[in-house]
This record gives sequence, structure tokens and C-alpha cells, in this order.
Amino acid sequence: MSEKRKYKKRFCKYCESKVEFMDYKDAGALRFSLSERYKIMPRRLTGNCKKHQDMITIVIKRARAAALVPYTVTRKTVVSAPFENLR
Amino acid sequence: MRHYENLVIVKPTLTAEEIQNSVAAVEEIITANGGEIATTNAMGMRKLAYPINKNERGYYHVVYYSVAPSSISEIERRFRINEDLLRFVTIKYDTNREIKAWNQLVDKMKKSASTPAKEEAPAEAVAEAQEAPVEAAAE
Repeated sequence: MSEKRKYKKRFCKYCESKVEFMDYKDAGALRFSLSERYKIMPRRLTGNCKKHQDMITIVIKRARAAALVPYTVTRKTVVSAPFENLR
Repeated sequence: MRHYENLVIVKPTLTAEEIQNSVAAVEEIITANGGEIATTNAMGMRKLAYPINKNERGYYHVVYYSVAPSSISEIERRFRINEDLLRFVTIKYDTNREIKAWNQLVDKMKKSASTPAKEEAPAEAVAEAQEAPVEAAAE
């Protein structure tokens, strides 16, 4: 048997709620498509459709430029700021 | 005229008054270049996701405005000169869908700007209600 899938394949969450526009200032909403280390999650794990994945990547990159979401999380920053801004 | 949105991060080392002045200066730059400010939103002092110029915090301010596309380069040039600003992010709202979203955001900001006055009244009522039992107990 192949390895068990870590994430269940799902339908696009954004299509379901009919999201047409994402706001980069709403950092809490971006959480869904970010990993624990604030990397952008791939489509195969989140189940996002191509359209919404393109949207979310642009929005996340804007949020990074605006210092709402970190670019990288190192061992040092993990300890000092665990998800503080986003909740 | 095209719709834009500018997010500005002001240095946290300034006093509250200086921050308000620099925010006013930002809006002044936009209007001086022929921009029409639709609404503004002060997100307030926030912790930055990563330090910028060794600053851990910053004062966020968002301005929604419409301006001719040719003026944007001048506005950004003026922002770069301004030393009070840690960072600015300019977003263009171009397609029909984005313009719709821009209008929605502006309406939302205008509503949230007008609601705090309404919210204060119930808060006071709650405060009075809390005070009343205390007085009763004191008697």
C-alpha cells in the first residue's frame, strides 16, 4: 500500500463560498493557504482550484510586503512570535 | 481616473501627534497630485511580521483613492523621500471585479467609521448596569 495521504483531497474552499476577491489586509483569512512556517500551501494539499490559487498567491505576497505575514520563519522567530498577528 | 489603495506603515518611534501629522502629509501628497480620497482606515499600531529597519512595530494606515494612473509614479516617489514611512504598498484596482471589491471595501470602511458612535451608547448602558448593582450592594 502506498503511504497514507496526509491531507484529504477536497473541493476548492473558495469556490464553495464564492469568493471573488481577497483582501490582503485580512491576514487571518490567509491562514488556510499557509503552512505552519508561512509557506504557501500547494494546490494538491489544500484542494484549491487554479483560479483561486493564483489569487491567493498574489494576495499572500502582498501581505508579506506589507509585513502582515512573515516571509520566513526561522527557529528564532518561531519562539518569539507564534501566530501572534493572525489571531 | 483609476481606483487605488495605499497602505502606509509609519514609524512607531514618533509620538501620537507626529504620527497623525505624517498620516495627514501622506493624504496631502495624494490630494496634491489630483487624487480624490474616498475613505481612510487607521488600522492602528500593530506588531510587524518581521522587523523593518530594526522596528518591531508600526502604525498602519490605509487610504482608498482614485487618481489618474500617470500620477502614481510621482506619489510613490514622494513616499520614498518621506522618512517617516517604513513601508508603503500601492494596490491597483483595475478589472471590473476588483473595482466592485474596491467599492465594497470603501462602503465597509465608511460604515465602520460611522458605527463606533452607535456602539458607544450600548457600552455606556452596560457600564451603568454594572455600576448599579455595586451601588445597591454598598447601600
